Amino acid sequence: MSKKRFNRRDFLKTLGITGAAAGAGLVLPRTILSEHAQKQIFEASTAHAAEKNGGQSYEIKPGELDPYYGFWSGGHSGEVRILGVPSMRQLHRIPVFCMDVGSGYGITNESKKLLKGTFVGDTHHVHGSYVNGTYDGKWLFVNDKGNNRVARIRMDYMETDAIVSIPNAQGLHGTFPQRYPKTEWVVTNTEFQIPVPNDASNAANFNKPQNYYGMHTIIDAATMGIVCQIMLDENVDLTACDYQGKYSMSTSYNPEKGVTLAEYLAFDTDFLIVFHWERIRAALKAGKYKTISGIRVLDGRKGSDLTLRIPVPKNPHGINISPDGKYGVCSGKVSPTCSVVELAKIDEAFAGKIKPEKCVVAQPEIGLGPLHTTFDGRGNAITSVFIDSTNVKWNIDRAVKGEKKPHVHVLDISYQVGHIMATMAETKEADGKWLVSLNKISKDRFLNVGPLKPENEQLIDLTGEKLVIVKDEPAYIEPHDVIMVRRDLVEPKVKHRYNMSDHPMAVHKNEIIRKGNDVIVRMTANAPVYGFQEVKVKKGNKVTFYVTNHDEITDLSHGFNISNYNVNFVVSPYQTKSVTFTADKPGVHWIYCTNFCHALHLEMRMRLIVEV
Amino acid sequence: MTGLFSVVVSLVLVLVFSYDVRAEGSFLEHRYPYTPNEALPGADRFVKKQGYWEGYKGNKMVGVVLLSKDWTPNLVGYAGKHLETLIGMDTAGNLTGVKVVFHAEPIVMIGLKEDNYKTFIRQYVGKSIKEKLAVGSGISMDAITGATVTAVVQNSIVLGSARRAALKSGMLQARKTEAPRQVSQAFTAQSWKELLDKGAVQRITIKPETVGLKAEAQPYLDLYFALADPPAVGRNLLGANAYEQAKAALGKRGGSILVVVSSGPGSFKGTGFVRGGIFDRFHLEQEAKSFIFRDVDYTLISEIKAAGAPPIREGGIFLIHNKDFDPGDRFAFNLVLPVRVGTTSKEVKSFEQTYRLPDAYMEKAK
Repeated sequence: MSKKRFNRRDFLKTLGITGAAAGAGLVLPRTILSEHAQKQIFEASTAHAAEKNGGQSYEIKPGELDPYYGFWSGGHSGEVRILGVPSMRQLHRIPVFCMDVGSGYGITNESKKLLKGTFVGDTHHVHGSYVNGTYDGKWLFVNDKGNNRVARIRMDYMETDAIVSIPNAQGLHGTFPQRYPKTEWVVTNTEFQIPVPNDASNAANFNKPQNYYGMHTIIDAATMGIVCQIMLDENVDLTACDYQGKYSMSTSYNPEKGVTLAEYLAFDTDFLIVFHWERIRAALKAGKYKTISGIRVLDGRKGSDLTLRIPVPKNPHGINISPDGKYGVCSGKVSPTCSVVELAKIDEAFAGKIKPEKCVVAQPEIGLGPLHTTFDGRGNAITSVFIDSTNVKWNIDRAVKGEKKPHVHVLDISYQVGHIMATMAETKEADGKWLVSLNKISKDRFLNVGPLKPENEQLIDLTGEKLVIVKDEPAYIEPHDVIMVRRDLVEPKVKHRYNMSDHPMAVHKNEIIRKGNDVIVRMTANAPVYGFQEVKVKKGNKVTFYVTNHDEITDLSHGFNISNYNVNFVVSPYQTKSVTFTADKPGVHWIYCTNFCHALHLEMRMRLIVEV
Repeated sequence: MTGLFSVVVSLVLVLVFSYDVRAEGSFLEHRYPYTPNEALPGADRFVKKQGYWEGYKGNKMVGVVLLSKDWTPNLVGYAGKHLETLIGMDTAGNLTGVKVVFHAEPIVMIGLKEDNYKTFIRQYVGKSIKEKLAVGSGISMDAITGATVTAVVQNSIVLGSARRAALKSGMLQARKTEAPRQVSQAFTAQSWKELLDKGAVQRITIKPETVGLKAEAQPYLDLYFALADPPAVGRNLLGANAYEQAKAALGKRGGSILVVVSSGPGSFKGTGFVRGGIFDRFHLEQEAKSFIFRDVDYTLISEIKAAGAPPIREGGIFLIHNKDFDPGDRFAFNLVLPVRVGTTSKEVKSFEQTYRLPDAYMEKAK
């Protein structure tokens, strides 16, 4: 290839490669750079191209396991899903804020205690608990934008174990756990400003948007109680915690206090708002809070020393921290730029030594509609760009050095990308292996299944210079965000069976207790029989079944379906679940095992006789 | 006789689990009454000892009778329950009577009769516990074809219980063991070839014709196994992560780590563990003790990390929690494979390879 065939774009791309190499500790003198560059370009046009641009296979053969657990939110399905990455096989669905008639979540007494009757949920952001900047495999946290809740999933059983409702907040959006030294706090945001409190006592402010507020809420990860809220004039959208345990930070697109589209867009500059944790702790200790709706509320409005407002262009969206902990990248959304904030400067800005805007050290032009940024751990950022419908790989160092277009590669997505995420990218161990582009539209990519089509999760090989799409994967309503966690961090924590003592009412002896109108049936399930062959109750009795699975073999779960009584649940080895209902339909109602268990699974049934 | 029977009953009661999983399931559970002299017909008087009865004819001790549940309670069958067995043997170690007194195996449900099970059990009578006896080698599965989990567990229960009781009662002399050794924590990087050459990894190769298939150059099963307790074995075979995870999974209780991998169309894992939770194609024997592996002790692996290792088709890490296992002592790896006979019938064949962690990975026990 002759030298004169270089064009400027190729030259810039090449610089991108060498820039990344320098970041990895390989420093080359400038004269050698151009030779190196020529070699790279030559190789790209030869048979080596495939290897340079990734070449990873997503195929996981029978008898092999995926190297990553992917934890996907499920949008307005209200659930969280587990996929194997890179095979993208769906391995499990965890009902969180929703009913799931398969597992019985929302039907059993145990799950009703969590849901408290509210089973519409909208999960957006799933994040894992951390120790020293990487996942510890203990918990997942996820928000419910619809009913303003945050749930915790225990990863040993992969099931929801706590849900907290957040008062004084609405449009509960970005949610992030503390990354260092370990997850003690989890923060979550109010995207929709509201009157505070938002109840009858404050009716005078219902239609006075100037008296609406946003909230940055801090949750105690261990107790799932609310530590405090920081009240703001602005709304707060997405959020992230730093790698030092000092700050959380959130983008705000509505400091206008607008309630209409035109109003949200009024200002040319909105904010990245940074929250100072040490000062928050001190303010709580000093009692500088008001108690509203039972929550300690601190004032974080302009003038407060708890918050720092870094101006960023118009209606920013995602805030993501680079794996080295040095930079926060705000994606511009309405602005075509990403604002790179150097976190080390935040201390100085809080101390008043520099102006907040001086924390922004670069503002490269990424494309039209930058939404979210993820990282490959090799000095590059990858930003999803919604209007252009691209994923843009760009080099952070080059941006900080002043390049307006530090692009390495632009990948056309065409299917309206929202979030993107790379493997381990929200940890200090980002490994740059795979990238998932969570696209909102999938038309023509899959067999037509009617007007409501699946979303399209595209798997991208991140190991080469260029981003290479290797797989389309359909997804049902509607993942927003994902984290992909190395298998070795999760697998040792996940259990095969419950401890029988987890449930205080675990059944060790089959018995029927009758007390007035109450009938309590305590029974075992042991393949292929329930502890009783029949149970008689009287019409109108309030009946509670406790069922404990006594099979100790892995994967031997039993179902429990009561014909005509709208009841079904699954109990796994050593697990106990219960259900309470009124026996209002006289007759014979077979209870049967719904979850295949044994050669005599069909025979695993018993009679519930409701006597007149 | 009445007094004797009450002794039996009280013994059984003591052993009942602390919780009562009551049996509406009794339909599937088979419990039979018994007296010790059913297993040692030559005796006319029994004296209760710790865990067994001594049987006397006149003043002469003629043998012992025991209940397996006192000796191998952790060995459970397909149904997750111990196969309680009454076992009698003479003073020379010849089995004089074996009777299953409780089981919940669903073999009746898969086309076998309770009588088939009794036929299987009966073949132990007259055999010596000093002999090598394995399903497929000395013990035939003809009577209960298909119920391999039950057969393998039952075999371990009979032999394991009898041998342990014989050692305890002094009827059997323990093999003279060498000076106790313990695992060395020293680590050096070692290739696959070094691990093989030093004997840390042992191999069983089975040709297709051995299992009734057409002869071919490629082995039907090329199996390697190793005790991965020493870091110089485990870390090299599994990589640091998987090795540390296995150690962590053993927890404070400790235990040992067995690694088994294979290539070829044959399978050492089989499918017994999928439904029954038990690996019915391989187990370890050490002295009088059998070690059977369950699904909860198993982690799939799909590659060996040691440099130069061949690709594998199947592989697993198997944890040995049982404190009776001594990683410093020799043991036998027993493989039981189904063998095709003609076109429609099957039998099983067993293979064995002894293993002893080489001294290079060990040190004298303190």
